[in-house]
Amino acid sequence: MSSDSERFAEAEDGGPQPEKHCGHGRGGMGEEVKRKEDQRFITGRGNYVDDIKKPGMLHCEIVRSPHAHARIENIDKSRALDVDGVVAVLTAEDLLEYDLATMPTLMDDTQDVLVNDKVKFQSQEVAAVIATDRYTAKDGAEKVVVDYDVLDPVVDAEKALEDDAPLIRDDIEGQEDNHCLDWETGDEEATARVFDDAPVTVKEQMLYQRLHPAPIETCGAVGDFDPGKDKLTVHMTSQAPHIHRTLFSQVSGIPEHKVRIVSPDVGGGFGNKVPIYPGYVVAAAASYVLEQPVKWVEERSENIQSTGFARDYDMQGELAATEDGEILAVRTDVLADHGAYNAVAQPSKFPAGFFNIFTGSYDVDTAYGTLTAAYTNTAPGGVAYRCSFRVTEAVYLIERMVKVLADELEMDPAEIRRKNFIQPDQFPYESPTGWNYDSGDYEKALDLALEMADYDDYREEQQRRIEEDADKLLGIGISSFTEVVGAGPGKTCDIAGVEMFDSAEIRVHPTGNATVRVGVQTQGQGHETTFAQIVAEELGMDVDDITVEHGDTDTDPYGLGTYGSRSTPVAGAAAAVASRKVREKAKAIAANELEAAEADITWDRESGEFHVAGAPDRSISITEIAAGAYMNKPAGEDPGLEAVNYYDPPEMTYPFGSYIVIVEIDRETGEVEFEKFVAVDDCGNRINPMIIEGQIHGGLAQGIGTAMMEHVTFDDNGNVTGGDFMNYLLPTSMEIPEFETGHTVTPSPHHPIGAKGVGESPTVGSPPAIVNAVVDAMAHGGISHVEMPMTPDVVWEKLDEAGLAMDPADNVALEFDVQSSDEAADD
Amino acid sequence: MKPAQFEQHEPQTVEEAVSLLESLDDRAILSGGQSMVPMLRFRLAVPETVIDINRIESLDYLEEEDGWLTIGALARHADVEQSELVDENYGSFADAAPLVADPQIRNRGTVVGGVAQADPKGDWGSVLLAHEGEVVAHGPDGERVIPAKDFFLLPYDTTLDENELVTEIRVPTPEPREGSAYHKLKRKVGDYAMVGSAARLVFDEDGRIERAGIGLTAVDITNVRATDAEDHLEGERPGSDLFKRAGELAAEQSNPESDEHGDAGYKERMVNVLTQRALGDAAERAGVVKRRVSQ
Repeated sequence: MSSDSERFAEAEDGGPQPEKHCGHGRGGMGEEVKRKEDQRFITGRGNYVDDIKKPGMLHCEIVRSPHAHARIENIDKSRALDVDGVVAVLTAEDLLEYDLATMPTLMDDTQDVLVNDKVKFQSQEVAAVIATDRYTAKDGAEKVVVDYDVLDPVVDAEKALEDDAPLIRDDIEGQEDNHCLDWETGDEEATARVFDDAPVTVKEQMLYQRLHPAPIETCGAVGDFDPGKDKLTVHMTSQAPHIHRTLFSQVSGIPEHKVRIVSPDVGGGFGNKVPIYPGYVVAAAASYVLEQPVKWVEERSENIQSTGFARDYDMQGELAATEDGEILAVRTDVLADHGAYNAVAQPSKFPAGFFNIFTGSYDVDTAYGTLTAAYTNTAPGGVAYRCSFRVTEAVYLIERMVKVLADELEMDPAEIRRKNFIQPDQFPYESPTGWNYDSGDYEKALDLALEMADYDDYREEQQRRIEEDADKLLGIGISSFTEVVGAGPGKTCDIAGVEMFDSAEIRVHPTGNATVRVGVQTQGQGHETTFAQIVAEELGMDVDDITVEHGDTDTDPYGLGTYGSRSTPVAGAAAAVASRKVREKAKAIAANELEAAEADITWDRESGEFHVAGAPDRSISITEIAAGAYMNKPAGEDPGLEAVNYYDPPEMTYPFGSYIVIVEIDRETGEVEFEKFVAVDDCGNRINPMIIEGQIHGGLAQGIGTAMMEHVTFDDNGNVTGGDFMNYLLPTSMEIPEFETGHTVTPSPHHPIGAKGVGESPTVGSPPAIVNAVVDAMAHGGISHVEMPMTPDVVWEKLDEAGLAMDPADNVALEFDVQSSDEAADD
Repeated sequence: MKPAQFEQHEPQTVEEAVSLLESLDDRAILSGGQSMVPMLRFRLAVPETVIDINRIESLDYLEEEDGWLTIGALARHADVEQSELVDENYGSFADAAPLVADPQIRNRGTVVGGVAQADPKGDWGSVLLAHEGEVVAHGPDGERVIPAKDFFLLPYDTTLDENELVTEIRVPTPEPREGSAYHKLKRKVGDYAMVGSAARLVFDEDGRIERAGIGLTAVDITNVRATDAEDHLEGERPGSDLFKRAGELAAEQSNPESDEHGDAGYKERMVNVLTQRALGDAAERAGVVKRRVSQ
C-alpha cells in the first residue's frame, strides 16, 4: 500500500511549471505575490514574545556568571529578596525540588538550567530573579551575591585537548579530559592510496570562525501555567514549537497534551532559536511554582554570549589531482569546538551534521574525513546558522580548496570547476560519502554567472593592474556550491528520536476560502505567502482566499520546525500533497454537481476549474465545490472539504548555484571593497521569485558579515570580547554592495512541486567566493589563504607578506603649485 | 534597556544646569546620549540624577563669529554633516562628520558631547587638536576657555572642573592659505576608529608651511597631537617626501595597543598612511599642491 505522499507526489498533469505558466492570475507558483505578513510588520502590528502582556505577569532576570570556569561556593539571595518588588529568587537548589535543575540538549548531553555546582562558561545561568517589573528584576539580580572559587579556564579547542588542560566536564562519569567526540567518514585507506600516487596534492589549514546568528529579536519566553486547567502554555521564540513541546513535556513531566507552545511572530532565527535555553525553562518553571505568568526576554549581550553559536571548525583540507586539474580525492581533518556542552543542533545521527558532503559539486570518487570535537569553557552551540547542519563549513572547505588547487596549477578557477563538475546526466548522483544528489546542472549556472560578471574583462583588468603596479588590486572569486536541504528522510534524520517529517492541513470553508496550518514556523521566511501560493496553485484558488497559520501547537499539525531550509522541501511538499488530496475529493463533488461520472472529471491547472472531460464548458470552480461539500454533499461521501498530510521526504533536495565576487584591495590600508557581486541560484521550481530574491539578498549580507567582520572572540580568561554589537560587527546596508542575481531552474525530480529550499544558499555559498576573491587579488604574491573575518589589518598583513603593501608616497605625487595657491588666495 | 533608577532634571538655561551641578552629588550630564545611554544601559553609569541639557536652546548653534567657528553643546553631528559653512571652509570637520558612528546616532549625538566624553577613539578631539581649537566651559565662576591641547588627560577624563559644563568648542576661522582634512579607518559604519588622523596646514605666501596641526585618534590614552611631525613640517614646502617623513614621525610618536581593532604594528602603519593622506588633502585644499597619481 502506498502512502498519500507517494500517491500524490506526482500530479496527474505533471505538476506546476511556474517558468511557463506563472501564477495563473491567482497568485499561484511563480508569481511575485507581495508578502501577506508585511502589512502588519510595516505598520508596527507584529506580535512578538515581548509584546505579550498577561494580567499579573511577572518578569525574570537571570544572574549570570562573570567567570568562565568556577565552582559556586555559596549563593546569598537575601539582599535581592529585600528589594521592593522582587517576588522570588530561584537557584538550582529550588529547581532540584521539581527535577528541573538540568535539561537535555539536542545531542542528549545534560546542561544545567541553573548551575548547581560548577560554572562552565562566562554568562552561564546561575540564578533567576522574579519581580513585578523588568527594571526591579534587574535591580534584584545585581543584589544576588554569589561566591565563586575561580578555576583556570580553557577557551581554545586545541589547548583544551592538551594533557594539562583543566577538566571541564567532571560531571560526566568517566570523563578524564576535554575530548567530546570523534567522527569519520569515507574510505581512509583508499584515500591514502590516491594521495600517495597523485601527481599533485595541495593542503591548506582554515578556520571557520565562531559566529553568532544574531537574530534582531533576542530569545524570550512567557511561561503561563494555568493551575485551573493544569496546563502549561509557553509563548516562546521557537523555530520548532512541536519538538519543543515534546521536550518540555519530557523534562517537566507534564503530559504533552497539557503543554502548549506558541511561537508568535519571531524576529529572525537563523538557527539560534532551534535549541532550548535555560531561560525558557526558568520562565516556565517560575510560572509553575508561582502560578503567575512570567516573562523572560534576553538582552542583546546575553543573546550573543550565552545562546547557540555557529561554526568554530578548524579545518585542514587536502586535494589530490592530476596535473591537468582533475580532482582525484578529497581529505579533511577537523578540530571542532563544541563549547561546554554537546549541544550542537543536528539530526541525532549526524554528530558532524552534513559536513561529509564536502566533495561539493565535483565528481570525486574518493574521500575521507575525520573530526575531533572538544569541550571548552565557552557557551555551547554549533547551531546551523542559516544553513543545513555544517554544509556551510563543508562548502567553504571544498570551494577554498578548489581555488588553492587552481592557483597551484596556474589554472583558471572557472575552468578547473568545469572540468570536475558532476554532469547533468550523472544525476541522481551518489557521492563517495553516501549522499544522493537529486538533480543539478552546475555548468549552466556557472556560465550564466561568468557572463553576468563580465568575467573575461575583469581578468584582463586584473592583469593590467598587476603589470602597472596599480594601487588597487583586483580579485575575482568564484564559488560553485551545492547545498543539501530538507531533512528528513525520517529513516536517517531525527531530532530527539522524532523523525524529521513535516505537515500541512487544509480546511476549505463553505464560502470557498481556506485555512492552511503547517508544522513549520516562519521567522521571516514569508511562509504565510509561499504556502498560500502552493495551495493556490494546486487547488485553483486565489491566493488572497487562503490564510496560513503556524506556530501554535494546540492547533497546528505536528512538525519539526523551520531551519536547514527544510520548510519548502518538506512542509511545502506536504501542502502540495494535502492540496491534491482535497482535489481528489473535490472531483467527487464536482461529478455530483456536474452530473457526470467521477472518472470523467478532470482538473485544469490554468483555469483552476474542474470540468467534464471533452466538455470544457461544463466546469465548476473550487468555490462552488466548497459550497457543495457542505450544502449538497454527494451520497456516500462525508461532508466537509479538508485534508492533512504528514510528509516524509524520500530524499533531501540539492539546490546549487555559482557566485562570483570581484573585489578591490587598497594596498595602503588593506581595505576590501566590493566591485561586483553576482549570485546565480538554482532552487528548482520557484514559488515566489520576489521572496527568493529577498532571501538571497539577506543571506548574501550575512555571508559578507561572515567573511569580512563577524567573530565571537574570547580572552584567555574566558571573557567574551565580542559580546555586544559594538564589538560583534554586523554588516548593514552601508556595507552591502549591489547584488546582481540570476537563476537557472533544475526542478527536484522527487519533490511534488519540483522545488528545493533556497533561504540558506547565499549564506552557504558566498563566504568562499569572497575569500577566494581576496586571495585571488594577492595570488601573484604567493598568497594561498586569508582567514576570516578579513578585516583591513588581516588583509594588510597578507599584503605585507606578499610584498604588495604600498605607501601613499609610492602612489601619489604631490606637485608643488604656488600659482594655484595664489588663485586660491584670490578667491 | 534596563538602567538603574535615576531622577531626571531638565534645566532650561546654562546657569540652571551649573547650579544643578553644584547642588547635586551623584549626577551625569545627558546631551545626545551617544555614550551616556549605553553606559546607563550596561549600568556602567548608575547616577542618582541625570541632567538632561537638551532643553537649553541657547546651546543649539553652529556658526562663525569673531574669527571662530563655534559649535554649541546641542549641535548634532548631523548638523555639522549638513552645514554648508562647514562644507565650504572646514575640510576636516566635513570629512569627520559623516564618519562618526552611524546615521541614526549622528542625528542625536553631539560634537561637544563627543569632545567632553574624551574617548581616545572619538574623532572630534583629533580634529580640535589639529585646529588648535578651544573648549568653552561654564561653571559657578562663569566662563572658562581651555585650549584643546590642555583639555584631555586620560581616557574619559579631562581638565574640566567638577561643576563645569562644556558649552562650546571652537576653532579659528581659516586663514587665506589653509586646508584641513580627516581620514579614518574603521571596519564598518558605526564602528569606532581603528585609527584616525586629522591634519590642518597653514601656508605662507611662498607656499611654505607656516603652521601644522596633526591630531590622532585611537592610538594613545587620549586624542593626541603628533608634535614631532608638526615640527618637521613647519617651514617646509609640501611634497610627497615631506609628508612621508611626517607620516613616519606621527607613527613613531603614536602608542597604539593591540586590540579587536587590529594589532599595534598595523595601527602604527595606518597612522603613517592616514597622516600622509590627510596632509595631502589639506595641502590640496589650501591650494598649494596638485595631486598627480603616479601611474
